[in-house]
Amino acid sequence: MIARLGKNVSDAFGNFLYATGFLFNLVKESALFLRRRQVGFRVLVMQLLFTAVEAMGIIALISLGLGAVIVVQGISILPKFGQGKLIYTILLIVITRELGPLLTAFVIIARSGTAIATELGNMVISHEIEAYVSVGINPISYLAVPRFLGVTLSMVLLTIYFNLFGLFGSYVVTQFITPIQLQDYFHNLLGVMSVADIASSLIKALVFGVLISFTAIYQGFKVRVSTTEIPQVAIKAVGQGFVLCILADAVITLIYYV
Amino acid sequence: MESLIELQSVTVHSQEHISLDEVSVAFPPNRSTVIMGPSGSGKSLLLKVAAAIIPPDSGRVLMYGKNLQRLGQKELLGFRRSSGFMFQDAALWENKTIFENLALPIQFHSPRRSSEEIENRIRKLLNTMNLLDSLTLRPAALSEGERKIVSFLRAIVLDPQILFLDEPTPSIDHQLLEKMLGMIKTLNEKGCTIIAVTHDAHLTSMIANHLVVLKDGRVLEAAGIAEVRRSANREVIEILTQVLSEAATYDTDILDLLEE
Repeated sequence: MIARLGKNVSDAFGNFLYATGFLFNLVKESALFLRRRQVGFRVLVMQLLFTAVEAMGIIALISLGLGAVIVVQGISILPKFGQGKLIYTILLIVITRELGPLLTAFVIIARSGTAIATELGNMVISHEIEAYVSVGINPISYLAVPRFLGVTLSMVLLTIYFNLFGLFGSYVVTQFITPIQLQDYFHNLLGVMSVADIASSLIKALVFGVLISFTAIYQGFKVRVSTTEIPQVAIKAVGQGFVLCILADAVITLIYYV
Repeated sequence: MESLIELQSVTVHSQEHISLDEVSVAFPPNRSTVIMGPSGSGKSLLLKVAAAIIPPDSGRVLMYGKNLQRLGQKELLGFRRSSGFMFQDAALWENKTIFENLALPIQFHSPRRSSEEIENRIRKLLNTMNLLDSLTLRPAALSEGERKIVSFLRAIVLDPQILFLDEPTPSIDHQLLEKMLGMIKTLNEKGCTIIAVTHDAHLTSMIANHLVVLKDGRVLEAAGIAEVRRSANREVIEILTQVLSEAATYDTDILDLLEE
């Protein structure tokens, strides 16, 4: 039993070292992406289309819904305590600092994380990765880097988009409950908004993007010989993506307040 | 003669068993080497290790005496530019059209080549194999034989100096097979080194100057074809008889069926 425990610890440490090396390689190749003659630029554009553009509908729906719910709840409860103005602070905290980046991350994990892990896993099984190596194309720079950059950039852009829709959606809902001038609404909102709020949101988006894309790519490349490994790595990409994003969210929020 | 590619004590483990066991073999330049052996003997793996697609767990792979694992980026790209690999299962890029499958290696290695030049090259190659209609199709729309031909065309699209062929002939119809064999022979006559894994007696008789016989991940014999034929090693004789007679029997069966 002790031997098995020792082996598990040793394997876990080995995997951690391998994953760290893989991330370092990915970041290094990403830094060189724009400098090199790249046939992978088209892959980056396709990734942006899939991850960012195609997800705009669902992100808009979620953020509008969330903004509406916060306003309805806030306007119903807060005035009873004489804290009606707090609605703007709550909107900012919930949408911009917390749920905006996190819900966007969940959508990207569900759509792109699974897609990337599955696609790369299939490519390993069908020897497409070996085919890239055989013609001299580095699979990290051609397949992984555009996905890494595409997902990370999409995560940042979609978070901004989520925030705008969430805050605008809450204004639309406000009109049905207690009509207010657009100018007044945004004046109140901007009055409680700080640079730190925006920075926190963008930093979270960036970190989540790196974590989601790295996890999905790493899991995809971990497939070895069998198609039965593909659903397993897709599930791991989702599970690990969620866990890492929530942990990172907690850490960044702690740093913000401490 | 100095070897073009040489494997020195190469061992590869896959899934906790030894697939190649201390393999040492040399491939001479400008010649055709055929690797033979029973199924599961490690032939395809040996070919991929020789092509520096799969790194060995131990041992060295040398090209003109230089360790392929330690080549710099430029030298490695040079090696890739001058070599082509045809996969047993075609390994075409499924999310790309046939045109894109053939164009990508050229675009990568020769970014200054005009798109017109690239298209002409690809059209010419596909036309030779009666596959011009497939230009805009995805690999999934092709038959297995057609996929193998596209894989072959991808391997030769850069006019390689070394051509690695992994079971190139199965699933391809007779007419196209003859064309493909003709192209392989022409490439060899122009000085291209060919290293092929095959069970095909016809291909072997057409191109082989050199034979490597493999069993259970070990090299039993590696020599000129005449020497291997004279080999006193019973295992080698058994394997050659078995492998070549299987192919011959299979062909005969097909012919018998056609005659009926």
